[in-house]
Amino acid sequence: MADVDNRVPLDWDALEVGETFQKFDYVLTQEMIDDYRRGVMDPEAAFPTISHKVDVRQFNAKYSDNGSVNARCAFHCYNSPIPGKKLTVTAWVADKYLRRGKNYIVTEATSVDEDGRLIDRVITHELKQPWEVGKKWEG
Amino acid sequence: MGGVERSYAEGDAVGPLVKEITQEAINLFEGSAGLSGPSQFTDEEAARETLGTSGTVASGRMSISFALELMRRHFGSEVFNRTGTVDLRFIRPVRPGDAVTFTGEVTGTSREANGLKVDVKIEVQNQRGDTTAVGIGSAIVPNAFLPAEE
Repeated sequence: MADVDNRVPLDWDALEVGETFQKFDYVLTQEMIDDYRRGVMDPEAAFPTISHKVDVRQFNAKYSDNGSVNARCAFHCYNSPIPGKKLTVTAWVADKYLRRGKNYIVTEATSVDEDGRLIDRVITHELKQPWEVGKKWEG
Repeated sequence: MGGVERSYAEGDAVGPLVKEITQEAINLFEGSAGLSGPSQFTDEEAARETLGTSGTVASGRMSISFALELMRRHFGSEVFNRTGTVDLRFIRPVRPGDAVTFTGEVTGTSREANGLKVDVKIEVQNQRGDTTAVGIGSAIVPNAFLPAEE
């Protein structure tokens, strides 16, 4: 039986800056860290959390859209995550803006481990008309 | 707290750091978070449908990871992993087969309550000399890691 898609179609105009999504948890395993380090070719890479895209996970779980392209991303380091620890993520809509006729949404998230250590903060600007950059890139 | 003491000044070079991008590396990056379904990063058809491109692209978050490495190598993990930031704007795609070079330059320093803030401008170019991303980074270096003031 196919999964039912209960997501809400994204209405950019109606989206409220400040909307905060339900917290979610995941356990960062040593295997995840090892795969990440091989992927980025850096055996000392300390923040595998970046590949989890946690700032947009709950957004994408709630809203359906035509996809997106990452236009800008900021990452703040506070403490390296420890393998096996549960991380709790709080994510929210930090901003939205229209530039050159294109819609952008800014999401932000913080991750905290089960001992209360602040791990990182990530802020991402996503362009919600991804084919626009595709045309430019292929042109 | 006892780290390696060093000073920082405007104009200091940061890097370079060179990364050769493969589809395997992209797949590992995406898979490390359990994101195993087809996407514009891992599947040509998905890239064509979502972006209209003829092939896959690397996530901008991979470039963030490389910028974190660039900065960590300069400041040391004891400093950067606690106080570091990077902020990149993505200008052109990074694709499998590209070799991207990350470079930085210290643009200034300022005293903060918890140490010396060092600001860095970051640029990323591919093997054709095209800029794929630009941005900034910073670290706050605790006084314990700075030479004693005279």
